[in-house]
Amino acid sequence: MLSQRPPPTVYPDPIETGFVQSLKRLPWVMLVIMMLLGGIGVLALYSAAGGSWSPWSWKHLIRLAAGFVLMVMVASVPIRFYQRFAFPGWLLAVLVLVLVEFIGSGSGVQRWISVGGFNLQPSEPAKLAVIMLLAAWFNDMNPDMIRYLRSYVPVLAIVLIPFGLVLAQPDLGTAIMLLGAAAAVVFIAGIPSWMIGVVIASILLAVPVIWAQLYQYQKDRILVFLNPGADQLGAGYQIIQSKIALGSGGFLGKGYLQGSQSRLNYLPEKQTDFVFTMIGEEFGFLGCSFIIGLYALLIFQMIRTGLSLSLNFSRMVVIGVATMLFFYVFVNVGMVTGVLPVVGAPLPLISYGGTALMTVFIGMGLIISAIMHDEGRR
Amino acid sequence: MITKRSREYNAVLSRRSLILGGIQGVLVSGLAARLYYLQMIEGQQYSTLSDRNKYDFRLITPSRGRIYDAGGRLLAGNAEAYQLSIIPDYAGDAENILRILSELITLEEDDITAILEEVRSTPSFLPVLIRSDLTQREVARLVVRSPELPGVSFEKTEKRIYPQGLLAGHVTGYVNRVTQSEINSGAITRELAAINTGKSGAEKAFEKNLRGEPGRERILVNAFGRPIRTAIDEESLSGGDVRLTANMDLQLAALGALKRGSNTPIPRGDKRVQRAIERQPELGLMLPETEEFAYIDSKGRIVPPESGSVVVVDVKTGAVRCLASAPTFDPNLFSGRISSSEWQLMINNPRQPLLNRALSGQYAPGSTFKMAVALAALEAGIINEKTRFSCPGHKTVGNQDFHCWQEFGHGSVNIVEAIEQSCDVFFYELGLKTGITRIAEMARRLSFGDVTGINLPGEKNGLMPTKEWKKKKIGRVWTLGETVNASIGQGYVLSTPLQLAVMTARLASGQMRVMPRITETDYVPEFEPLDINPYALKVIRKGMRRVMNGDKGTARRHDLTIGSGMAGKTGTVQVRAISKAEREQGVTDNADRPWKFRDHALFTGYAPYDDPRYAISVVVEHGGSGSGAAAPVARQVMSWLLENEA
Repeated sequence: MLSQRPPPTVYPDPIETGFVQSLKRLPWVMLVIMMLLGGIGVLALYSAAGGSWSPWSWKHLIRLAAGFVLMVMVASVPIRFYQRFAFPGWLLAVLVLVLVEFIGSGSGVQRWISVGGFNLQPSEPAKLAVIMLLAAWFNDMNPDMIRYLRSYVPVLAIVLIPFGLVLAQPDLGTAIMLLGAAAAVVFIAGIPSWMIGVVIASILLAVPVIWAQLYQYQKDRILVFLNPGADQLGAGYQIIQSKIALGSGGFLGKGYLQGSQSRLNYLPEKQTDFVFTMIGEEFGFLGCSFIIGLYALLIFQMIRTGLSLSLNFSRMVVIGVATMLFFYVFVNVGMVTGVLPVVGAPLPLISYGGTALMTVFIGMGLIISAIMHDEGRR
Repeated sequence: MITKRSREYNAVLSRRSLILGGIQGVLVSGLAARLYYLQMIEGQQYSTLSDRNKYDFRLITPSRGRIYDAGGRLLAGNAEAYQLSIIPDYAGDAENILRILSELITLEEDDITAILEEVRSTPSFLPVLIRSDLTQREVARLVVRSPELPGVSFEKTEKRIYPQGLLAGHVTGYVNRVTQSEINSGAITRELAAINTGKSGAEKAFEKNLRGEPGRERILVNAFGRPIRTAIDEESLSGGDVRLTANMDLQLAALGALKRGSNTPIPRGDKRVQRAIERQPELGLMLPETEEFAYIDSKGRIVPPESGSVVVVDVKTGAVRCLASAPTFDPNLFSGRISSSEWQLMINNPRQPLLNRALSGQYAPGSTFKMAVALAALEAGIINEKTRFSCPGHKTVGNQDFHCWQEFGHGSVNIVEAIEQSCDVFFYELGLKTGITRIAEMARRLSFGDVTGINLPGEKNGLMPTKEWKKKKIGRVWTLGETVNASIGQGYVLSTPLQLAVMTARLASGQMRVMPRITETDYVPEFEPLDINPYALKVIRKGMRRVMNGDKGTARRHDLTIGSGMAGKTGTVQVRAISKAEREQGVTDNADRPWKFRDHALFTGYAPYDDPRYAISVVVEHGGSGSGAAAPVARQVMSWLLENEA
């Protein structure tokens, strides 16, 4: 196709090839948005601490830097490598999840694993591992096989094994997000419509069974979500105080460091899951819209990038990462605005806490790798 | 290599990706809509909820109005005070903390018990008052030890002070914390429960004016209920000041004269007094350490100060210049948490210092009632100035014998002489001829039988008996003997010292139904006409003058030496007749009997005689005789008045 074009009259600058050419191909818009969101996180955590760099803000800054380094490292490895090692990677993630069942820590739940002083939440990298293995599976599959039910037996194994392990930790929020991201990959891979119908129907049928399996606090959260007024000082307290904080922010908010709900400790977990509430109280609808807009733009850019790639594996991974990010934002904001139950989901890049931040940076690294090492760019 | 099949698959992938992106876009828009709803549409409502979270609204107690006497002397004001309270929630073991406190500040065992009782009965997050009048030194000690005292806080407040202390206690009254009944009756709102309200005297009478309007402040509280800072929304409005008609210099002179009576002062610290107290513990109760003097009576015995009342009313305006009642109490005691021992001292004093005798003490008027009887007879035309009755020393009515105080009689006397010498038999005759109905009608016009309506609380009605009253209350028919008794102000008749003073003021005025009041006004009040025959009044006043300056006047030794002198009437009220047993023991002198059986001494009068300005009533409880104990007090008070106020 290229040969049909007229030859260029001006020779390209020799410097424009190689390094500079690579720089131009970098997804600058996405990187700038990520830095913006990270910066907002630093400012928000400064406010959450009552106008202080410690204990959260400066650590968040360090984590952002560490995440950036990790992203560069991930990006420098060709995307084909990840495709080839998708299965060993998935196996490793599952092993760590099993491991966390035995040596993990956390108050009454097994979610974290301590490695050299760092608390890791293995359910987060497991999400990426599932996305990559699914992408590899569908990439290698004969497109004709997509119609056959037997092609999905491995898919079920790839998804449900880590899903079950995460659910057993128990971490309902992450498990659902894992399921969501996996479903997105399967969806874009071209699963026939009738199968989608069957899956939705069986999920609906499974709801009573899952309900019976839930822990009491999880049930409480869901019940409280359905009727927050029922228990104003107990489980419903968080949602009510969060809505009060957000609502009282109005259009312009109460001003930076002026959020009374968070300042006076009415708002729980304001540095982690409810950081968006605090921002909403201090910057109002305008601030909230700006942040939602940034996330929407980032997700949009990811999907657009995914569509432009030639390797199907890359496309599915990129869109899987985009969906994962979407789920983070949707579940978190839905939770603090009272449209979803309190499941404990961070707002990536802004919330204090390392794991989600690392997941997003690794995901971004994969996207960059997919762009930079895309073989047949059109 | 790109096959047709894989191109088709590419298209599927792209289409599905776009669908996914579309779904995500819709969901994100949903979130934005949700935020719009929360923040833009319901924002105002959540703002209110947030404010309610933030702020605790509290009323600011207004500064209470001050009370002054006629001379502008401060009777009740406010002083800075440090108030100590404990919040049980933060204190943990309240009893232990109170024990520690009792080592640092004055806190008695009974007080601790009372505070612990209050701690139990109030919600544990509300502060309970420990002491409201810490001294600077106590505050300093507390500051040093405060780390050991969780939940204990002190606050700068205003405390009611009464600079005149004991002197004006009954006039000003006192303030204390709001009671449950005040809240129940709706007199005060629950939010204001922390303030003090007037419980007696002027503090109670002018409560509404003195209290002022409370302000509002917002206290920023965190999720744990701890105050962070406060902001004032509405300033409080200080209460209005009140200026009373009473004159504290006069009150001081009157109280001194009253307490002394006809006795001789002796310093309380004197050895004889101490010995007497050791012998008679009751004497000690009546001689609290606030008393400067004990007294020696005519029999050489150590006695406590006399109890009773002195009331002075301005004849022209009704202004009450003196409202003394002895013994008195110090209203400052009530401003803080009154200590148990001080309270006990007051309660155990058999002379009841909390009773305001001027308004609430009810005594038979005795011979001071004779003016009412005489006026009734004169107005009815039963007698005139010249009518004479013979007094043989007693009068028999039915099968009862009624004695005159003069055992051998006054001989033939007319009305003026009868008043001068206080002849009982003359008034027996007069009473029988006039009848109780006409006497009661006149007495009521002069102030007996009903409250005078002074603007102070606690006034008693007294009692003016009638035939109907007896029928209704006792269920028996009125007897002539009772008319005889009533004619000399004994029997059922009761009056308050204020009523006696008001009666005298009306007699002195001759024209106006003088009404007493305790507050200064800018205008001269107008009174209803008295509407009593001026001729009759003239006769009465002549008799009252003769009491002071007649050869046989019962108070002839106690006339004023200035101006046109004083007019008056003595009264000696029998509390209990000398019994046969007493007579057989040789007790004939009133002073030899137990104090509570002795006669009350009364005197009412006015001065100057030719242009009356002040009317006075003196009651010396169990003082012996009106001429011996009450008249000298009246003379001292009137002399002081005319010398200092003329």
